Amino acid sequence: MWFNRRASVQLGDFEQLVLLGVLRLGDEAYGAAIRQEIHARSRRDVSINAVYTTLDRLERKGLVRSWTGAPTAHRGARRRKFYEVRPSGIAAIRHAYHTLRTLADGLERQLESR
Amino acid sequence: MTPAPPRLAVALLLWRLSSDWRDFVVGDLEEEFHARADASPAAARRWFWSQTIRCLLRPPRARVQAMPPSGDSRVLSTLSDFRLALRVLGRAPSFSLAVVTVLALGIGANIAIFSIVNAVLFRPLPFHDSERLVRVFHVPPQSTFPGITRFSVSPANFYDWQRDAHSFEKMAIYGGARFTLTGAGNPESLLATAVGDGFFDVVGAHAALGRVFLPEEDSPARGHVVILSNGFWKSHFGGSRDAIGRTMTLDGESYAIVGVMPASFTNAAWGATAQPLWVPIALTAADRAVRDNHNDQVVARLEPGVDVAQAQAEMDAISKRLEAAYPKENAGWGANVIGLRELIVGNIRLPLLVLLAAVALVLLIACANAGNLLFTRALSRRKEIAIRAALGAGRWRVFQQLLVESLLLALVGGAAGVFIARAGLRAAATLLANQIPRAEEITVDGRVLLFATGISLVTGIIAGALPALRAGTADLNDALKEGGRADGAVGVRTRRMLIACEVALSLMLLTGAGLMGRTLLALSHVDAGFDPHDVLTFRVALPRGQYATTAQMLAFRDGVLQRLRAQPGVQAAGTIDNLPLQGGSVQPIVLEGHAELSTRDQPTVSVRKISPGYLRAMNIPILRGRDVADSDSEVLLVSRSAAKLLWGDADPIGRRVTLPLEAKGIPKEVIGITGEVKLSSLTADTPPATVYELTRQEKQYGGFAFAIRTIVPPMTVAPSATAIVHDIDPNRPIQQVQTMNDIIDQTLASQRFSALLLAIFAASALALASVGIYSVLSYIVSGRRREIGIRAALGAGTRDVLRLILVEGLTPTAIGIAAGLAGALAAGKLVEGLVYGVSAWDPITLGGVSLVLLAVSILASVIPARRAARLDPVIALRD
Repeated sequence: MWFNRRASVQLGDFEQLVLLGVLRLGDEAYGAAIRQEIHARSRRDVSINAVYTTLDRLERKGLVRSWTGAPTAHRGARRRKFYEVRPSGIAAIRHAYHTLRTLADGLERQLESR
Repeated sequence: MTPAPPRLAVALLLWRLSSDWRDFVVGDLEEEFHARADASPAAARRWFWSQTIRCLLRPPRARVQAMPPSGDSRVLSTLSDFRLALRVLGRAPSFSLAVVTVLALGIGANIAIFSIVNAVLFRPLPFHDSERLVRVFHVPPQSTFPGITRFSVSPANFYDWQRDAHSFEKMAIYGGARFTLTGAGNPESLLATAVGDGFFDVVGAHAALGRVFLPEEDSPARGHVVILSNGFWKSHFGGSRDAIGRTMTLDGESYAIVGVMPASFTNAAWGATAQPLWVPIALTAADRAVRDNHNDQVVARLEPGVDVAQAQAEMDAISKRLEAAYPKENAGWGANVIGLRELIVGNIRLPLLVLLAAVALVLLIACANAGNLLFTRALSRRKEIAIRAALGAGRWRVFQQLLVESLLLALVGGAAGVFIARAGLRAAATLLANQIPRAEEITVDGRVLLFATGISLVTGIIAGALPALRAGTADLNDALKEGGRADGAVGVRTRRMLIACEVALSLMLLTGAGLMGRTLLALSHVDAGFDPHDVLTFRVALPRGQYATTAQMLAFRDGVLQRLRAQPGVQAAGTIDNLPLQGGSVQPIVLEGHAELSTRDQPTVSVRKISPGYLRAMNIPILRGRDVADSDSEVLLVSRSAAKLLWGDADPIGRRVTLPLEAKGIPKEVIGITGEVKLSSLTADTPPATVYELTRQEKQYGGFAFAIRTIVPPMTVAPSATAIVHDIDPNRPIQQVQTMNDIIDQTLASQRFSALLLAIFAASALALASVGIYSVLSYIVSGRRREIGIRAALGAGTRDVLRLILVEGLTPTAIGIAAGLAGALAAGKLVEGLVYGVSAWDPITLGGVSLVLLAVSILASVIPARRAARLDPVIALRD
């Protein structure tokens, strides 16, 4: 069934980071902003191509959608590509989050102390 | 001013990224760069580069291209195929590089050899309307010159031909001459071409400066004029225009410079255009009447519309008339008309075509290797292909797409090949110049580029067709089911076939190289009849101007010899008019008590004028009688075959003969019999009947070739020899200082050239084949991991697994060896004319190269086989 399959979408580690980044940035979620968000919060200096490759994959899985913004002067008159998490994406990240929470249940002390 | 991101990086990004992503990625990077540059421009630049490099290595994927709507033109779909192919290949740079490299080497080698073939065999000679230029020779009587079809021409016959023949627009006589240039620093020995009236008109050449000879200058009275080659003009007159009208002292006589030829007129391929000087041949009336002494050359220009066969027919008729008119001199003497180009390149045609065939085999092997790579890649894309097929792409469409990819790779390989060929030809320029006529004309021209394009396309099709065909017909269902999982060993049959092909082709090449190697070995061990080791040779030319009498020449020679023999390290020294393998005179010989016959029936022998000491210096054995001594005059030694020819089983010693062509015709007494010496060619089956003459009365022509046997390294004697000659006559240059071994080496040049190239081709073929076997076997082993794991789990030992994989590798090798042997046997006819001292179907060579190939394929199989044998069944089964 299609809804079952959707619910069972497994997200990779990096896909989770990117999805969370898009979610956090709201209306301002485009490549560079997402990259910086991930960099700032996870200390991973990821490459822009990795971000876009992942976003493209998420879009093809139907978890995010994108649109193209207008060209702006301070980036050499180049357009931005904005992303937004679709409900199925929210479901997927929620699923991942719950899985992590469930498995980490009772281990808080060990995990926090690290 | 705000810093800008590195421009090169931006350019690289714009080039590498697909249009889907270009704006977003570059815009994002620029934006963040500006933010970072506020803090530290240098750090921002470093960051920009690191991001760029990561993007270049692994750019975001282009959107999957939708199949073009049905009904669009074939051109459009091919174009889109090309675009897709570019992207697909760009995404797999190491794969593309591997295929391009293999193909570039194969195609490059072919382009290089084709460039040579093109320049030497296909392109017309660099003379005006050169296809109409022919040479005309005598055909000597076969009873006395068996097998010789081209002989120099006698002046009287030439002037009759010139008068009677209508097939030719013009005909000219010419010959070689040698001068000593004095009056300008050190004396210098120069070769010249002595040309008769009309020579430059026949060739269609004009002087670049001044003029060519006038008709009236072809006479002894007015013949002291000279035309310079462009090179000589530049080296001796600094290219000055006022050289015209100045004079040069040649052989002590003054010659007026009347013209300078253009640089394009100097062509090493044809002797008449290879020398620095041209002078009028200026024959006297007496010279022109000589009919029985054949020393001159003839060049002619055919009338438009007349071909060589027609000219030959006319010359045959004229020869018949001349035979009837002058039976004593002309009996049995015919004429032979041959195209100038055919004459120059006829001998090199077969070796070049064999090399072209050999290098084509290398390309086929490269195709097989590239095909193997393409096939592996096509298999790894089975899922993509299956999806395309499922979406409605026909078999042809998929085939076309894969073929376009391989064509693209081959074209890139071909472009790289052109550069490889040019570099190779430049590196081999000096090697080529010594071994191939017209080598200086070798260039990469339009025809070569056309060939390069054609061969690249053919290569792309050959390498790509099989993989594309197999991948295009793969089962849809299987491919989609298997898609995600590891490959499994698919297409093993196709791969085995590729291995068999590579082995077969390598075997043919190795056989060729082996045969040429053995030919070279056989030639270098040919018994030439003399001992070439530790012999120093050089020439001294003696012009008639200073050495008017034979006595003067002999005094010079004996003076030099006497002092040479006193040098430490010198064992023996002597002179001869022409050293072995450097040409020389063939003359009729008349036995005392026999009447002189017509030239057809008169026996002829090679005649060499020697001094005492020559036979000892060359270690030519004296079988009976004695060597010539200083006290001798007008005596002969005859070779064993000459003795047999002239006297049969009777004892020749003490008999007397005359050589009618010599001016005085003094009878000479035979004093000994020598061993046989190969005078003209090492490959000749029978050495010529030879007489060695010691004369103090007859004219000596041109000068002497010295041969010195040493007990020290021969070249160490050269300085003192030069000093001795200079001491006796400061105006005599010493030329062609070389060892006898050098002279033999030069005659082996073309065989060595063929052997060297074939060896290079065979080595690359072997390398390509072993890489092919290795990669295919590695692939098969990795595909059969599970099976091998199960076998191991069921108790198969290391040796069983080893044997399994070795058999897997050696079966196609064995098939390839069998096919290659069949091919080599079939190709034997082609190389038969090139080998010497070994059969073209030599079983030892064939067996040897089969063993080499077998050994190489065992080596190439061992690593994958050991890997398989070491496989841990637990791991293999779990995967």
